Amino acid sequence: MRVLLGNILIVIALGFIVCGVYGLFRFRHFYPRVLIASKVDTVGFITLMTGIMVKSGFNFFTLKVLIIVGFFVLTNPLATHSIARSAYKSGYPLPEDDA
Amino acid sequence: MSFEEVVLWILAILGGASTLRAILGPTAWDRILGFNLLSSKMVMIIVIFALLLKKSYLLDIALIYALFGFVGTVMIARFVEKGDRL
Repeated sequence: MRVLLGNILIVIALGFIVCGVYGLFRFRHFYPRVLIASKVDTVGFITLMTGIMVKSGFNFFTLKVLIIVGFFVLTNPLATHSIARSAYKSGYPLPEDDA
Repeated sequence: MSFEEVVLWILAILGGASTLRAILGPTAWDRILGFNLLSSKMVMIIVIFALLLKKSYLLDIALIYALFGFVGTVMIARFVEKGDRL
């Protein structure tokens, strides 16, 4: 039962990540692309890791995965923010119409 | 092909797609974004690989990989913005 629930969560996470990669190619301008790719990728990562944690039960393996999730949730938005900030500060034009 | 292997194959293909974005990307920031997404997908691949082999020391590798991916992305973004007077 637990393994099945973990598998379902992993499949949902894969759906998120596929949407993220699709968004990566769909948008023409850089800013909507960086927004979509980073946000959806972080959510997909969290769902994937909860699926793995559910699947592996309650032991030190899950604790390590929890540490990785905690670290990633903190740093991935920061990294993507620094990319968008560097693009904005260097004068990359904002898109006027919708992406 | 167990369930995890299929997941690993899909993640590898998605990593290739984000690398394709890094290759095609017109601006330098698209390339950094592709690199950042590839490193996050690599972390997912390593963690699923650790789940597949039931080895917990692989998770330390995934954590270090995420750390380096983050530091690398931030430093490249700052270098592209400020040049070498970082």
